[in-house]
Amino acid sequence: MTGLDLQKVFRPVKQELKPPKYKLLTEAQLEEATKKAIKEAKEKLTMPPVLDEREPIDDVLAEDKILDGIETTKYIFTDLTYSIPHRERFIVVREPNGVLRKATWEERDRMIQIFFPKEGRRVIPQAVFKDEHLVTVFQQDRHEDILNMCIAQFEPDSADYIRIHHRTYDDIEKHAKYDLLRSTRHFGGMVWYLVNRKKTDGLLIDMIHRDLLDDATSLITLYHMLHPECQSAKEAEERKLQGVDLIKVFAKTESQKEGYIQLALQAYEEAMATSTDHIEELDLCCLLQHQL
Amino acid sequence: MVQLGSRLLKGYRGGHVVIRFALGGCTNRPFFRIVAAHSRRARDGKYLEQLGCLDPLPNARGEKVAGLNLERLRHWLGCGAQLSRPAEKLLGLAGFLPLHPMTVTGAERLRRRRRAQEAAVPPVAGGLQQPGEKP
Repeated sequence: MTGLDLQKVFRPVKQELKPPKYKLLTEAQLEEATKKAIKEAKEKLTMPPVLDEREPIDDVLAEDKILDGIETTKYIFTDLTYSIPHRERFIVVREPNGVLRKATWEERDRMIQIFFPKEGRRVIPQAVFKDEHLVTVFQQDRHEDILNMCIAQFEPDSADYIRIHHRTYDDIEKHAKYDLLRSTRHFGGMVWYLVNRKKTDGLLIDMIHRDLLDDATSLITLYHMLHPECQSAKEAEERKLQGVDLIKVFAKTESQKEGYIQLALQAYEEAMATSTDHIEELDLCCLLQHQL
Repeated sequence: MVQLGSRLLKGYRGGHVVIRFALGGCTNRPFFRIVAAHSRRARDGKYLEQLGCLDPLPNARGEKVAGLNLERLRHWLGCGAQLSRPAEKLLGLAGFLPLHPMTVTGAERLRRRRRAQEAAVPPVAGGLQQPGEKP
């Protein structure tokens, strides 16, 4: 369903400017190059992880009442052993009241970024990620950029990551800007979010408008897999529906925008009918031209 | 250049490995590196290995950041390195070693001094209030 638009996946990302390289290829070499490009594109389109929000850390290691009020600031100690994974690293905080506790997730992320810096991540997250500034980003239609920045900056199970992703998906669903994320790695996450919350109508209409019937059927199959107890899932299983019938049954039973989906399906069927007529006419014209 | 070589390949009589703080940074901006070095070396001179760092000035969030390479620290302690007193105190605060007795003593002394100051101040304040009450 993510779609494989090579033009969009490999569109110029902001990098240092290099003059384009031209190669002379035979047909076979061109096919090979296209296949290689498709393989690379599929790797680029792997979905980032979707996890539940992490539990806050709340563990006290020692309480020394003697040290209460002696220091004015807290100490953060980070274990700098190179060979342990970041999730298992010891990061402890000695508070001014003498309590030695494990560091919270935000403190952990900050310290790990200070001592083991990762490319594209900052110690203090940028101000763009606050709600009031996300609105401006959405007005400029830069959903994909902000999601890429979010993946670079936050851990997949942090509250900020989940919040930003959910806001982006809600905004896209509100304004029906599904095409912005098509053929990017964020499309899968968006579909998962919408299907879990049963807000798939807009996406379905968009797919039918763009004549992506296969994607529409895959979407409904996914919906049935996630919500097997709903009515359209049971009907589909009983009658073993395929294609347009599946969409019609889904529209009748589960969706709120039934009218729109019916209209879109009608327009699609009319377009299919006229295009088949056109194809037949074109074939006749070609034959006549060849004969002449 | 021969003189430089002889300075770098210094051999000492006696001495042992210590884990201590080496001061760096700029004027009015100290920065400590926790370092395993020979005891006879200069404080900021050639060391065997850097085991961490400590920033004594609090950052924007009011925290003093310290990093400790615990695995290498354990290795050097296993090799028989000794610790300087500030290093012991820091490790006690971190929880790697038990709290240093001087930390506890220092805390008790500070408390006693503060209590004495508070006890000294109120009688003076109480004495000053009386002329004010009687206009």
